[in-house]
Amino acid sequence: MAMNSCVTVVQLGSGTQVHQSEVHLLPCDIEHDGAAQVAEFFTPTVKERKHEKTVSFRGRGLKGQEVTHPQGYTGLVLKEVQKPSSDQEDRVVKVSSVFHNFTYWNLETPPTSDDRVMMSMAWPKLAEMMRAPVED
Amino acid sequence: MTTKKKRSAHTSNDSWVVIAADSALDKTKLDDGDPTFIRLRNPATGAASQYLFSRGDVRLYEVKAFVEDFHSWFIDQTVQRDGRLLYVTPMDPLFLLLPYLQSGAVEGKFQPLQQIVMDEDYPGCTRMLKCTQALDTLQHVADEKVVGSQKFHRYSQEKTMDWLKKKVLNTVSALKKSDISVGGGVKSTTYVRVKQETDVTEEDYLRYAHGLISEYISEDLSKDLHKHLQLPEISSPKEVEPPSKKRKLSDKPVEAGEDYTKFNSADFARKPPKKMTAAQKTLAKVDKTGMKSMSSFFSPKVKQEIK
Repeated sequence: MAMNSCVTVVQLGSGTQVHQSEVHLLPCDIEHDGAAQVAEFFTPTVKERKHEKTVSFRGRGLKGQEVTHPQGYTGLVLKEVQKPSSDQEDRVVKVSSVFHNFTYWNLETPPTSDDRVMMSMAWPKLAEMMRAPVED
Repeated sequence: MTTKKKRSAHTSNDSWVVIAADSALDKTKLDDGDPTFIRLRNPATGAASQYLFSRGDVRLYEVKAFVEDFHSWFIDQTVQRDGRLLYVTPMDPLFLLLPYLQSGAVEGKFQPLQQIVMDEDYPGCTRMLKCTQALDTLQHVADEKVVGSQKFHRYSQEKTMDWLKKKVLNTVSALKKSDISVGGGVKSTTYVRVKQETDVTEEDYLRYAHGLISEYISEDLSKDLHKHLQLPEISSPKEVEPPSKKRKLSDKPVEAGEDYTKFNSADFARKPPKKMTAAQKTLAKVDKTGMKSMSSFFSPKVKQEIK
């Protein structure tokens, strides 16, 4: 079997400043990958009042909440640099941008800590607990 | 949004949204090569899961996907249809080494690690032998013999049980210090989750931690550990007990067969019992709510999707 097909290298480069992205998680399946005029038609219509963000998207009212990553964690957008021409080659991805928080949007209802996205933010903490080595 | 329509297959996936531990993509030690995502044998399921080695294979991380239907990303001026969120979190490599050590123990011989940890289907598993935490802690699960300059190891069930028990107890004390609720707090509607100490017993913590650790070990080991922790079986509801005696909350057999070893199944769905007493309702929350929500959405299937 081609063992290399199981490996994806993360090219870190020597590390100059990486672009910071503005990231939104939307409560719908958008059947598109690629360019979109987010800054023209979405971001300007976001209204922020106290802790609640609202926006109208395709005629639906969305309610949003800023989500900050757990401490010691960073949001990354990984992009494939180039598709391998054969399965003997490693796949290579690079960090195309980073983000330190993102906006999570719900349809109609305001986001709460019971939302699964919010709960998933507790996962790193749990994982660290179980990773910790035990004393002799 | 309510109609279930079939999503057309994702044609090409060349972009992923990830939340990663900063140590995973540490940029120091440039000479050691780059971090790599790799498929290794999941110790709980025996199937492939996605992991990550940091530079020089010094540390191991697991990759879990948070998936919800009908979600897509806006990233600056682009749409990414795939709404998954990947988590890269540190992991104890010993969990992944255990199945190899166990299967090498059949003949009860001491063997060099290089002979124990090999896998035709997952040749990358040998890289775990470079992980600092693996080599430093191997004595917790195996006996060691040194002959000349060579080390030989043999799996020890007894040591492993003690090690796993310590893992569970560590997790329990970390849980107690954290604001992660193992009980009713999950139902809070406020944004900040408040831990509700009342009603949460030591046993609830133990069960919760045992459930978490069981995601990293085989079902057999999970059962052995359950015994080793002396956790009462919750799946034996016909316990003879004087009706007058007030039972401890967690002995109540709501949903017999509810068992933390099931967490690895992707379609783990729980239906609430039809009628519950107030105590049972509380228990339903205490025992399981938090656990369900943490594990069921990390579907093991999708872990394999980055190839």
